[in-house]
Amino acid sequence: MLLEASAVTKQFGGFRAVSDASISIDEGEIVGLIGPNGAGKSTMFNCLSGDLPPTSGRIVYDGRDVTRASPEAHARLGIGRTFQVPVTFEDMTILENVMVGAFLRHAGRNAAHAAAMDILEMTGLAPIRDRPARSLGTPGRKRLEIARVLATRPRLLLLDEALAGLNANEIASAIQLVRAIHARGITLIVVEHVMEVIMSLAQRVLVFNQGRVIASGAARDVVQDAEVIRAYLGQTQWIAAAPAAAVP
Amino acid sequence: MRNASRAAFGWLALAAGAIVYPLVLPGAFYIDVGTTLLLAAATAAAWNIIGGYAGQVSVGHAMFFGAGAYLPLLVYKLWQWPPIAGLPFGIVVSLVLAVLVGMPTFRLQGHYFSMATIAVAELIRLVVATAEPLGAAIGLQGPAVGRGVWDLTFRSGLPYYYLFLALLAMVLATSWWLQRSRLGFYLRSLRASERAARSLGVPVRRCKLLALMLSAAFTSAAGSLYAVKTGFVDPESGLGILVSVQMIIVAALGGAGTLFGPVLGALILIPLQTLTNTYFGGEGSGLTYILYGGAILLIARFEPGGLLDLVYRARGLFAKPAPSSEQSRHAA
Repeated sequence: MLLEASAVTKQFGGFRAVSDASISIDEGEIVGLIGPNGAGKSTMFNCLSGDLPPTSGRIVYDGRDVTRASPEAHARLGIGRTFQVPVTFEDMTILENVMVGAFLRHAGRNAAHAAAMDILEMTGLAPIRDRPARSLGTPGRKRLEIARVLATRPRLLLLDEALAGLNANEIASAIQLVRAIHARGITLIVVEHVMEVIMSLAQRVLVFNQGRVIASGAARDVVQDAEVIRAYLGQTQWIAAAPAAAVP
Repeated sequence: MRNASRAAFGWLALAAGAIVYPLVLPGAFYIDVGTTLLLAAATAAAWNIIGGYAGQVSVGHAMFFGAGAYLPLLVYKLWQWPPIAGLPFGIVVSLVLAVLVGMPTFRLQGHYFSMATIAVAELIRLVVATAEPLGAAIGLQGPAVGRGVWDLTFRSGLPYYYLFLALLAMVLATSWWLQRSRLGFYLRSLRASERAARSLGVPVRRCKLLALMLSAAFTSAAGSLYAVKTGFVDPESGLGILVSVQMIIVAALGGAGTLFGPVLGALILIPLQTLTNTYFGGEGSGLTYILYGGAILLIARFEPGGLLDLVYRARGLFAKPAPSSEQSRHAA
C-alpha cells in the first residue's frame, strides 16, 4: 500500500467538503477520481498533497503519517501534484519552470539543468524551452505543470483535471503522456471529468459525491452502478417523487 | 551564448566607464554625484534581492541602512574606535532585525510584510530620535579630524567613490550568483506563486528569510560606508522613510528582479534629482518627494516591469523571426 487515507473529513465552517472518505492506493496503480462538480474531489486532493490539513482522519504514505505535513514535505517525500487551474511561474522560461522542480533533487545548477532537459524531452516541451511560460495557452500550461512536477521525481502523482479544456488531439497526446509517466513507475491519481479519458486510463475508479466515496471498482463496473448514475444525473428526487404522486 | 557574451561585454564597458569616470570628470561636484549614484545603485541592488527577486516589497529598508549608519558612529562615540569598525556590528544588528521582522510576517502572504516593515522602521526612527545615547534628534558625529588611516578621512572624494563602486560590484556579483543558484530560482518561483512553489518542495519561508538577511546585510554595509564618509547621521538621513522609498523607486524604475535594473534606475534618477536640487537649491528638497511620487505613479501605471522590460519588449519586436523558426522546427 503506497497511500492510505482513512476517514478523512474536511470541514469549512458548517460545510463538509469531504466527509469520512477512505481511499487506498497501491504502488503502480492509475486510479481515477470522478464525481459531479462540488463533490469534494479537489478538496480531497488538497488534503492528500498537504495543501489543506484535514479536519479529522489520517493519511499514511509509504508507512509514514503525513496527515499534517506541509506541502513542501509532501513534495520531498515524493507526492507531486498539479492544479485544477494551472499555476505556472509566468516570468520564467519553460526551462526555468522545470528547473525549479529539478532543484528539489539536485542542488547544483548543472545537474538541475540536465534533469530538466530530460523531462522537457519526454514531455515534448524541449523545442520551446526558452520561451516565457506566459506565452503558453492552457494546454501548454497543463503540460508544463506536469513537466515541472515530474522534475521533482515523484513516486505518486496527483493530476487535477490535467486534461480539462483540451481538444480531441490534445487529449490524445495528453493520454499518451500519462501512459509514459505510468511506464516510468509512477503511481497516479487522476481527477477527470471526461469519462472516456477515465475509461481508457484508469484501472480503478473512485466515485465521489457530496464529499463521500460512493463507489469504487473497475471503471466499466462503476459506470453501471445505480448510485453513480443517480449522482451524475441527479434523479434522486425525481424517482422518489413520481410514485408518491401516483399513489392517491 | 551570444546573448551571454553580449551581456558580459556590456558589463565590462559599464565597469570601465565607472572606473574612468572620476578621472575624466575630476571635479569634486562630479565625484560627489557619482558617489551618490553608486550608493543609490548599491542600496537599490541590495533591496532588489528581497523586493525584486523574491517580490517581497519592503518599505522599511531604512532600518538596515540606519543600523549600518549608526553603529560606526556609535562605536566612535563610546570607545573612540575608527568608525569603520562599526560596520560588522551594523550587519549583526541588521540581521537580528531581519529575523525579528521576517519570522512572523513571512508566514503570511501579500502586503503584511510591507506593512510590518513600514511600521518597524518608523518605530525605530521614533525611538532613536528620542534616545539620548544615540544622539536623539541631533544625531551622531564621527571624528572631526582623521586620527589615522583607519578613520578613512580623505582630502578628496575619490577613495569613497571607489569604495562605493567596490560595494556595488559586490552586491551585483552576489545578485548574479543568486540568479543562477537554487535559491534564486526558488525566490523567483515563490514570487510568482507561493502555493505552486511549495508544491514543488520549495521551503518558502526559509528562502524569504535568507533573502531578507542577505539584502539587510548589504544595505547595512552601504549605510556604514555612508556614515563613515559623511561623518554624521541623524534619524532623518539614516532612518527616514525617504531612504526606504528611494531604494524601491530606483530598483522599480530600472526593473525590479533584474540584475541591471537598479543600476539603470540610479543612472536616471540621481542625475535628475541632482538637477532639481541645483536649480531649486535648499527649497528644492521638497521636490524630491514630488519626483518620487511622480516616478511611482508613472511606473505603476505604464511600466510595472520597469524600463528594462520596455527595452526587452522593444527588442522582441525586432527579433520576431527567431521564435517562429523554432516553432516550425517543432512542428516538423
